Amino acid sequence: MERKKTKSRREFINSSMRFGMILALGGIGGLAFRRTTGDQWVWQIDPFKCSWCGRCATHCVLNPSAVKCVHAYELCGYCDLCGGYLIPGHSDRSTAAENQLCPTAAIDRKFIEEPYYEYKIDEDLCIGCAKCADGCSSFGNGSLHLQIMHHLCVNCNECTIARVCPSDAITRVKGSDPYLMKGDFTKSTGFED
Amino acid sequence: MGRKWPVILIVLLSAAIIIAVIVTEHTSTLPGRRPPNPFAYDVDEFRSVDQELIRWRETRQVQLDREDIRAMAYAGGKIYLAAGNELQVIGSDWSRILRRNLPGEPTCLAAAREGWIVAGMGNHLAILDSDGETIAVSEVLGAESNITSVAILDDDIYAADATGRRVLIFNRELELTGELRGDSGVSDVHGFIVPGAHFSLAVNPEDELWITNPGIHALQNYTASGRLRSYIQRSSFGIDGFSGCCNPVHFTFLPDGRFVTSEKGIIRIKVIIGTGEVESVVAPPELFRDGTRAPAVAAGDNGNILALDFDRNMIRIFEPI
Ligand code: SF4
Ligand code: SF4
Ligand code: SF4
Repeated sequence: MERKKTKSRREFINSSMRFGMILALGGIGGLAFRRTTGDQWVWQIDPFKCSWCGRCATHCVLNPSAVKCVHAYELCGYCDLCGGYLIPGHSDRSTAAENQLCPTAAIDRKFIEEPYYEYKIDEDLCIGCAKCADGCSSFGNGSLHLQIMHHLCVNCNECTIARVCPSDAITRVKGSDPYLMKGDFTKSTGFED
Repeated sequence: MGRKWPVILIVLLSAAIIIAVIVTEHTSTLPGRRPPNPFAYDVDEFRSVDQELIRWRETRQVQLDREDIRAMAYAGGKIYLAAGNELQVIGSDWSRILRRNLPGEPTCLAAAREGWIVAGMGNHLAILDSDGETIAVSEVLGAESNITSVAILDDDIYAADATGRRVLIFNRELELTGELRGDSGVSDVHGFIVPGAHFSLAVNPEDELWITNPGIHALQNYTASGRLRSYIQRSSFGIDGFSGCCNPVHFTFLPDGRFVTSEKGIIRIKVIIGTGEVESVVAPPELFRDGTRAPAVAAGDNGNILALDFDRNMIRIFEPI
């Protein structure tokens, strides 16, 4: 009985966060359309190719970068010992600044109920460094990943990050469908090895 | 002609500058020339293992002839492997005893000492005889089911369904007879929390069923009726526990009942005793390539540990020092 309650709450958390994400991306998409038309090609990161090299933070023409971390809620394991949120060797699992992996404290972790957490990325603070995505992919499901945000990106003729990306992860996508969010285009059941 | 010289000079100089910029940019992005990542995620401190703890030595590597090996089981001196829709059986002298195509692609295997085999096929199970002939097939458990581990206990077959976050119980005819949800009856001890496709179970030499609860880094022992009897739970990035969403990914038992666990993230194989303490390290992270899959593990009758290295397509054998 308890488990059912937990599961349905988790589903509620997932679906409401997903709805929030869709609204956010929808709003962002609306803004993006002021810069790009549906037929235009824009740059985007294939999160399955990204190797978290840090260059998205340092090589964008914008400062801070137009690349930000996003969270695929459906994939998240809501790990208690989250590799994307907690610094390796943290003293405890609290949200104290010294335990946080993100160099700009851009990830807000909120306890929902044992054992689930909710993550929100503060886009103003995120610099797109991929540290959290590396930690999440190394130890978790890879639900934290990077995307180029099109309300920020100026759609350079040649993306300066694409020129230096060691994984060839930056690709051209249609302006009408400008995000390659994990979960939306996940490769199998939504689970990764 | 004389008046054209400055123009030619400017063109040549511009071309030289452009070429220099292109070459510099190209070489600066070559792997050996890349500046270090100022935001590197550094877990080196957890990769290094106290040498005193490493009490196993790799004594053999057996290269396999398939690159798509998905599962391994051991029983009665034989190793059972599944690759694509092929079943392979390897004898104690490492010769291949059987190679046979199956009607489906196994995702996990368990073998009985008498030689019959249970194969998890994603959304259903099959029982095969020792020649790989299918003798029973279960119903399809739903398109979403993902059977990631199977075990045999007396006349029952236990199958871990990662997507359904449940363990299904079948009889020898592969009729579904029960289901475990990991409920303990205690409100603060959860059912199975399975964030990824890693949900494993095994039976120890005392005929006890152990199941991972990977979301809380636990190994849990259940009675046949599905009551939680005991558990080990250790969360830590360090060698003393498990981290991330899905560890331990695989586990098995040595003939004396000690646990052998295999982890992803920082890939390592450890031996754990009943209290949950790490008794020894079988294979430290340096033996595996970063970012690869956690090896499947099995224990031989002689107490050696077999690790299926999915990255290098080989079985690696570890013996106690
Ligand atoms: S440059 Fe490429 S590999 Fe590096 S973080 Fe950006 S997308 Fe990932
Ligand atoms: S770790 Fe880097 S990419 Fe992740 S949220 Fe923080 S600033 Fe953004
Ligand atoms: S296209 Fe330009 S603005 Fe957009 S991410 Fe690449 S470098 Fe940054």
